[in-house]
Order: sequence, then structure tokens, then C-alpha cells
Amino acid sequence: MLVALFVVAGIVSPIFYRPQNIFNVLQQASALGVVSVGQTLVILSGGIDLSIASIMATSCVFAAALMAGKNSMVIPITLFCLAIGALAGFLNGIITTRRNAPPFIVTLGTALIFQGIRFVYTKGAPFGSIPSWLRFLGRGGIGFVPASVIIFLFLALVMEAILQRSAYGRKIYAVGDNKVAALYSGINVPNIILSVYALSGIFAAFGGLVLAGYLGFGDNWAGKGYELDAIAAVVVGGTSLAGGEGGMGGTVVGVLLITILSNIVLLAGLPYQFQQIVKGLVVAAAVIFYSFVKVSGERR
Amino acid sequence: MKQEEALRMVNISKYFPGVKALDRVTFTVNQGEVHALVGENGAGKSTLMKILAGALQPDEGEIYLEGEKVFIPTPQSAWERGISIIYQELNLLPDLNVVQNIFLGREHRGRLRVLSYSTMIREAESLLARVGVGIAPQTMVRNLSVAQQQQVEIAKALSLNAKILVMDEPTASLSETEVEKLFGIIRDLKSKGVTIVYISHRLEEVFRIADRVTVLKDGKCIGTYSIGELDRDKLVKLMVGRSFSETFPEKAKETGPMVVEVRNLSVPRILKNVNFSVRAGEIVGFFGLVGSGRTDLAKALFGFYPHYSGEIVVKGKTVKLHSPQRAIAEGVGFAPEDRKSEGLCLGLSVKDNCVMAVLDEMRSTFFLNRRRETGLVQKFVADLRIKTPHFYQRVQNLSGGNQQKVVLAKWLATRPDFLIFDEPTRGIDVGAKQEIYHLMRQLASQGKAILMISSELPEVIGMSDRIYVMHDGAIVREFGWGERVDEERIMYFAAGLHVER
Repeated sequence: MLVALFVVAGIVSPIFYRPQNIFNVLQQASALGVVSVGQTLVILSGGIDLSIASIMATSCVFAAALMAGKNSMVIPITLFCLAIGALAGFLNGIITTRRNAPPFIVTLGTALIFQGIRFVYTKGAPFGSIPSWLRFLGRGGIGFVPASVIIFLFLALVMEAILQRSAYGRKIYAVGDNKVAALYSGINVPNIILSVYALSGIFAAFGGLVLAGYLGFGDNWAGKGYELDAIAAVVVGGTSLAGGEGGMGGTVVGVLLITILSNIVLLAGLPYQFQQIVKGLVVAAAVIFYSFVKVSGERR
Repeated sequence: MKQEEALRMVNISKYFPGVKALDRVTFTVNQGEVHALVGENGAGKSTLMKILAGALQPDEGEIYLEGEKVFIPTPQSAWERGISIIYQELNLLPDLNVVQNIFLGREHRGRLRVLSYSTMIREAESLLARVGVGIAPQTMVRNLSVAQQQQVEIAKALSLNAKILVMDEPTASLSETEVEKLFGIIRDLKSKGVTIVYISHRLEEVFRIADRVTVLKDGKCIGTYSIGELDRDKLVKLMVGRSFSETFPEKAKETGPMVVEVRNLSVPRILKNVNFSVRAGEIVGFFGLVGSGRTDLAKALFGFYPHYSGEIVVKGKTVKLHSPQRAIAEGVGFAPEDRKSEGLCLGLSVKDNCVMAVLDEMRSTFFLNRRRETGLVQKFVADLRIKTPHFYQRVQNLSGGNQQKVVLAKWLATRPDFLIFDEPTRGIDVGAKQEIYHLMRQLASQGKAILMISSELPEVIGMSDRIYVMHDGAIVREFGWGERVDEERIMYFAAGLHVER
């Protein structure tokens, strides 16, 4: 599938194969990739997180304002932003588990809260700047390979290992497949759910930093639309929205697929709005494809 | 009187990847008879009925309705031909009322295409009257009992002018009186010329209600018999190729030390002053009608009611069972009543389910030790004879008996001292039942204390060394070692008749 897309991309525009373009595509895929890793965890556990874009932007704005261009501040403020992300995710998890509220609404609501906090803090106009170290995270690279994509793939790999090989990962699958049975097996279901939202918040905050490094300034709307793109990437990657089924490998493919498609649309000279149509079509195609896979799987 | 043929399915075959679910099955049903379809789980009963209902297409074979060859490509076309199926899991929408459910998708409309409620209510009333039940047509289905919901489904089938009504395990979750009522309805429908195909595991019901019986085994049709030709032993033999007398394993000869002692266990509004004990090596049966608190008792022992009062002593030590995690740590295992929704993660593999309760023990450093995991699963798959093509098979693809064994494996992996089985053989075929019984007895003789909850009296009597009868959240009678018990005596206490005296 991905290979076919590469071929099509080359036909649409030979520019696609230029190292600079490949570099750009991978760079753009990274921020989405990082937050999609978090989203995958949440969706595997049977939930959904619509607040990640808002957490990203909040993290981006705080980074610019507090780092104020000073490299010495990069590490402490990065940790601060991740802590904010964790706290935001923790809030999502607490409301979801304690009140047994639908995560769709909970995270939609908290997204607004984080957005409001961001706007109050910046009074609508973000300030500060991004120091060069963080710029390297967003823009720099080793040869043809952007630094950010290395980090994205590393995170995906680590999380995949945790999902498949650790007790914690298996519990996420169990909770996603059947919460009641997980509870009856002595798994602390609320804690697992809480933890995936906290992780998703951390990944979102980190994605916001990657994006900040890429953009070079604090943007109140950094990462706008990433929550849905991340869900799309996860679904295209074969993870079931019902939970309990899927993995990081698919998500990596899904992220690349969606980014490359957007790139092709741009290279073909079509206006930006076409990206949305194409993304929509890909998600629809993926859902239809998996529904067939599922039916043939069940007919056993 | 020569009876007309209502349905003839000829040489039906159906292949699933790797399995031949049906192998040239021929199934003939006469007009106006009650025809029982029996066989072990996985024998092909549901596949055959799904083909009749248009939910599956046969790979080979033909279907004739009243002598006429038909194709049934969709469930809609089955309804149009007068075939209705009432599945074990009832298919009503809980938040709509009875009328809305009966006429779902086929609402009567008056002028301007507006729904004409009054007509529908009138018709629903007459349908319910035909079924012979007094359910108010505007009741929310959520508020109906399972039996009543089933009656609504029957009414719905009648509104579709069902000529053939298939009932899949209709009595699985009904009480004794509700079963009587259902039989009354079935006899009534029969007298009105409706043909009924009755699928059940409960053979005594088959003998009471059926005119003829067709036995399926491993996807093949063993034969069709009129009920007079058969007795219980013979039917079981046809189904499993075993004789019925060896159903229950021998009881315990001696018991070990006290494992669990419960004193004055109370949960507000649920359990009242429950006292009992279970020793190593014995199987203690709990019987009670629906609502007697038997499952709540099990849940309390497994940490689901953290605010209980009273004392639970496990192996001489008073323990606080405030969560399932705590209960497992104290050596309690619990195979819940509903395998599919509570016992298993159906979408996950045999292996994942087997190790689910011991994931934290399977670690070496941070990651799971694969060799230890596989070793464990291998051991249980072999010990319990779980039939699965490989460890990575999703448990939803296993038969009920094998699923139950996976639940058992999950608990044995925790090396429990005390095992609670809630309805261990519900929805399991005769052959697998026996295996489960023997496994339970084997576990007891290995020194485990076993508490078994069951609503099947023969099972309680056949399996238990001692029996406690529950009624209204309390234990009302204990039948001790060697004490004479029979079904009537147990039922007498379970029904609360001793109080009214």
C-alpha cells in the first residue's frame, strides 16, 4: 500500500523523490506521529482523546513564552511542558474513570479548557521565541533523516515493545477488548485507563514541542486538526476504534500514508482544501477495507 | 393422518475456513409439529438455522418450503416466507416500548404517512393476547423480564405471519414457572398450526415438548426420531456416543482442612448474615432462584462489595477482600456466570486469556518472559484438553466448552486455594459438561476448595458434597455430608416455602 503510494507520488510529481521533499514529508509526519502514538494507546484501551491538539498548542505556546529563546531553558521547560501534558491527560482520565463519562465528550470539553487557559495566558497573542536546540528537534536532521522522525520512530518502537511484551501493554489490550472481563481478571481497569490518557497527554505535549521547533514560534493554533488526523492515522493503521485490536506498526504506516497523501496533493498543484477530501477518502476506504477483513475473519 | 411437509432442507453443506460445519445435512419438518434439534455445541445446529434464516448461504444443498424450492438470500426474505427465529440473545431494543419493538421498521401509517399509534397498539394487544400474555403494550422493553421479552419476540414473530418459528435455547435464562408458561404458549401455537423448531440443551424439555427430534453431530445428521422411540439414555448416546449414567464423577471421600470460613457476611439490601465454610477437597454447591443472592455472594467473596460487614477467613487468616486484586492475592478464583461478557476477552487469543490474571508474575525484569508464558499455556491446553488449533486463536472462535476451559486455565494459573464457579456448565453441550465436572472433581481431590453455584438441580445434587440453599439474600438450609437430598426438598427451601408455614 505504502509502496504503491510512493509510485503514484512519483508519477504525480517527480519532485516527490527529491531528497529535500522526502525530508520535508518525514518532518511533517513526525509531530503527527508522536501524538498518534499516544492516541493509539488510548484507542486500544477502548477510549478516544480529542484534546491532544489543544494540549499540543498549549505546550507550543508555553515553550515559546518560557524558553524565550534561551537554550539553557530548553530542558527544564520541556519537562515542565510534559508535566502539563501529563496533568491534562490525568484530568481526562480521572473524569472518564471516576464519573464513568464518555471520553469523547470529556476530552472535547477539556480541549476547550486547555485552549482557554492558553488564551488567557497569552492574551491572544503568543510571545517569546524558540531556542535553537528545540529548533534542531523540529528542523534539523542527520543527513536525509530529520531528527524528529528518529524520535517518532523510536517512541513508536518503544511503545510497541511495551504493548506486545510487557504486562502493562497486555492489560491495555484486555481493557480495550472487554473491561468487565479485565476487571474479573484482577486488572485494575481504572488505573490502566488513567495511565493511557496521561501518556497520551505527555505525547501530545511532546508533539507540541516538536511542532514548536518546526514552526519556530508559539502558535495558539499549532496542531489544529491533529486530533482528527491522529485518529485517522490510527484507524487507517488498522487499530479498531472499539479497542483491543491493533498496534503501533499500523499507526506508523497510517501516519506516513496521510502525510504523503497531503504532500502529493500539494505537489499536484491542487489547492490545500483538496487535502481534506483526500484524507476523508482514505479514512473511508480504510474503514471499508477493514470491515471486509473483519467479516472474512469472523466467518470462521 | 398424513402430515404435510412444512420444510425440507436437503444435503446442506457449509464450509468455513478449515472446518466443515455442515456435511450434507437433510432436515425435514412437518406442518404443525414441534421439532427439536439437538446436538453438542459445534454440531452445526446454529449454522443450519442461520442458513434457514437467510443469515448464511449454504455451499451446497437445497431448501424446500411446502414442497416448493426456494432461495433465502437475506433475513428479510426469510420473514417474507414466514420463517422467524428467536435467538438466545434476544433482539429487542431496550429503550423502545413493546409496540415500537413489534412493529420496528414496519410501522402502520395513516394519512400523510403519519404513524397511526392507535392501530398498532390495538394490533399489539391482539398479538399479545394470541400469545396469551398480559403485557401492557406501552411498557419499555427495558422494564420487562427476560421471559416477557421472549413473549414479545413471539408476538413479533406472529405479526410477521410466521409459519415456522425457530427457538434457539429459549429456556436458558428462564425460571421454572416461566418455562411452564413458555411450554403453554408453544402448545397453543402448535394447535394454531405454527410449526416450531426447538433447539435446546435441556433434554428433559425436549422429551416434554417435542414431537420429533433430529440429532446433529459434528456437522452430520445422525437421524430423525419420533419422541416415542427414544429415552434419555438413548438420546444422549446418539448425541455424544456415551451413556448417560457416567455423568457425575464420584464424590469426595475425605476432606482436608478448612479453607474458607464466612461469618455473618452482610451487604446492605443484598446479603443477610451469611455463614458457611468450605474445606479443602470438597465441592460445596449453592442453589437459589434468580434474585436469591447466590451470585452476589460470589461477588462479595471476590471483592466486588468492598463495604461488606462480617468476617471472611481464608486459611485461618481474617482477610479484607476489598477488590478483585486483593481476592486473587488471597488465593480466590472466580469463574463468572457469563463467560462471554465477564469471563473472557473474546477478541484476544487463548494465550492472552490464559495468562491474563497472572501477567505480573510472568515478568522477568520489565518485559514478559515468553518462554514462561508459552510453557504455562502449553501445560493448561494439554492438562485441560482445550481444543484449539494454536495458542493464538481468538477465544471467540472456540466452542462454549473450550471457552469455559480457558476461563478455568486462567484461574488455575493463579494457583488458587479456593475456586468459585458460577454456572460452570451454562450453554455447554453434554460432552463438554462431563469434562468440566471431572475437572472440577479432580481439582477438589488435589486439595482445592470449590464453591459451585448452579441453577440446575441435577447438577447441584450430582456434584456437591454439601449443599447450601439460598433465599432472599440468606442461607436458609444446609444439606450436610451424606444427608439425603432430592430436587423437591431443595426447591422447597429455595422457593421460601418453609417461611410461610
